[in-house]
Amino acid sequence: MAIINQATKELQVKVVYYGPGKGGKTTNLEQVHANVQGVSEKGKLVSLATSSDRTLFFDFLPIEAVAIRGFKTKFQLYTVPGQVIYNTTRQLVLRGVDGIVFVADSQYDKMAENVESFQNLQDNLKSLKINSLEIPYVLQYNKRDLPNAAPVEYMEFLLNNREVQVPSFPSCASRCEGVFEALNMITRLLLNKYINESARKTT
Amino acid sequence: MPGLPPLIQEDVDTLEAALDQLLLKSEATAALVIDKGGPLVSQRGTVDRFDTTTISALAAGSFCATQAIAELLGEPNFASIYQQGKHHSLLFCNIDENLLLIVIFKATQSVGVVKYYAVETIRRIMEQLQRAQERAPDTSVDLVSMNVLDVSSIFRKQP
Repeated sequence: MAIINQATKELQVKVVYYGPGKGGKTTNLEQVHANVQGVSEKGKLVSLATSSDRTLFFDFLPIEAVAIRGFKTKFQLYTVPGQVIYNTTRQLVLRGVDGIVFVADSQYDKMAENVESFQNLQDNLKSLKINSLEIPYVLQYNKRDLPNAAPVEYMEFLLNNREVQVPSFPSCASRCEGVFEALNMITRLLLNKYINESARKTT
Repeated sequence: MPGLPPLIQEDVDTLEAALDQLLLKSEATAALVIDKGGPLVSQRGTVDRFDTTTISALAAGSFCATQAIAELLGEPNFASIYQQGKHHSLLFCNIDENLLLIVIFKATQSVGVVKYYAVETIRRIMEQLQRAQERAPDTSVDLVSMNVLDVSSIFRKQP
């Protein structure tokens, strides 16, 4: 959950990139790190990866931006390891999460993995006693440039087929397309969530 | 999972005073209070030479991973980790469900001394957080009264 320090005027929020293995979560962070501008401070991108560049624990990118006048807003971006065997690690990274970008792989043969990973996300939130309805998330349909990419409508049917649909973004993370759109949207959703909660409590 | 309550000046002052006291007595280099989700809550000592934001994220992951291993071994009492270095050593101590205390100290110093003084620091931090929790058990971020900017494009891509 977000950390608010009214004395030092700081708000810290945690965004986690979740999704199946080799879906492009790390690439998202790399592109944000390489291309972001206009932020107050950009930290180092730390990757805890195997020798073959697969995420072992997490990737971490701290960014400071101005979202509220007079308040420092620190965004901590994390990825989880997508491989099925690293589920305990995913649970650890989800701890304290404020918003999620679910990075799905658009290739037809990855649909089962997308659905399994999405279900795994729900299960892990439950095991951490986090109400999945209260955590804002967005969907990113990555690798749209590949020839075997499934239609967006099909992915919407598989992953966004519910009463209240969440924002979704087609993307090609390796070309930095759809990366900032998803990040800005999750930022907007999670800050709006706190604004609404505050409003409810003050009325 | 209840999160950390919003911190006001009194909380920050007490946390910093507790850390200052620990640094004074133990002669450690730096002390941090971090959230187990990764964010840094408070820091004192010679912190400019360290990337404390990244240390916090990694320390939280490391502690929680070791705690998970301990649970798999059926070990419910898991309170601290000691990492011995050549120049600096680290002590990670559990504060409560949400927080950790990280102490960075010279490798020539005794971990026993740091651990001994950390007990009192943890007690003071816990007491203050209890007060913060009682003060505002339900309070979350009051963004309504803050001046929220247009958040639709906080992060801009360089052209």
